[in-house]
Amino acid sequence: MKNTTVLLLIGILIFVVGGFVFIKAKSVNIEGNEGQIITGEMQQVVLSQDGYNYKDTIAEAGRPLSISADSSVGGCLRSVVFNVKGKKYSKYLKSPQDTLQLPALSKGTYTFSCSMGMGYGKLVVN
Amino acid sequence: MSWKEFRKELNGNRVEGELIKTIFYSVLTSFIILGLLYYLKFRFVDNFMSSYGYFMFFAVLSYALLISTFRQVRAYREFACMSGMMIGMTTGMIGGFLPGFFIASTNGMFVGSIFGMFIGITLGIFNGRCCGIMGVMEGIMAGFMGGLMGAMTAFMLFNDNLIASMVIIFLISATILFLLNYMVYREMKVEERKLKEDHLWTLVISFVLIVLTAWLMIYGPKSGVFG
Repeated sequence: MKNTTVLLLIGILIFVVGGFVFIKAKSVNIEGNEGQIITGEMQQVVLSQDGYNYKDTIAEAGRPLSISADSSVGGCLRSVVFNVKGKKYSKYLKSPQDTLQLPALSKGTYTFSCSMGMGYGKLVVN
Repeated sequence: MSWKEFRKELNGNRVEGELIKTIFYSVLTSFIILGLLYYLKFRFVDNFMSSYGYFMFFAVLSYALLISTFRQVRAYREFACMSGMMIGMTTGMIGGFLPGFFIASTNGMFVGSIFGMFIGITLGIFNGRCCGIMGVMEGIMAGFMGGLMGAMTAFMLFNDNLIASMVIIFLISATILFLLNYMVYREMKVEERKLKEDHLWTLVISFVLIVLTAWLMIYGPKSGVFG
């Protein structure tokens, strides 16, 4: 087989498989959930910093959450990432007024971190 | 002048003439394996394409390019110290950076760093040994640093256009590896090929690398960010 033919085959292979992957995948970039409709009575959760991590936070089960970060939270910890059942929720909470909204959670402990994975925290849902 | 000769040799009878075929066999092997795994297992994984698909796709392309340099260097066996160090450094660095980047994007920085360092150092040693201990050391150092750097970069970009960054990083790495192919040709164009082999190693290395990567991405340990 000539190399030009092989090169063409590589191109076709990459185009077909790449197209399949890119079409099938919606987006891997995590985004804030501004566009998402979250129903129910919202509860406010304020994150604080404790050393290099977040302070553990408590919330109620069955009610959507509006998460903000107070002024003690600094640096990359202001960009918070939650992973709830495989779905990522993330937002850069630039000021204490910025909020990240999460849907109602069931009872359990949810770990979250800053976007760089340097600072961790726990959200305990009762 | 050498550039034109190199382009001609890509269709010639030397090892450079086999590079494109090597890339093709590697890409084909990896896609067949991933296709089978997808059909049998991965399509049942939640959000597979958006969480892992991109990274596996670029891992396949990266491994194909790395394996082509591996084949070219093996064919000549012995290099001068300076060239061997450059080969060890380039392979170690790219071989550490890219796998580290891909795995850190799906599993977190710790697993990404370890995997990146492991692949980078291994490839760095295998390619760098063509000039003895200096190339081996250069391969180890570059693999060590590349693995850590790749994983760290992915993690820092996690919330900021990770996919776009990956495409750009891959294109730069591909250019570097292509230039390494050219450099090896320039250094060795007057030399005879020492080792003539079939494509068995290409298939074996592609198989091992892609299975290891896919397994680690899906079933490997994950850091807190990934739940």
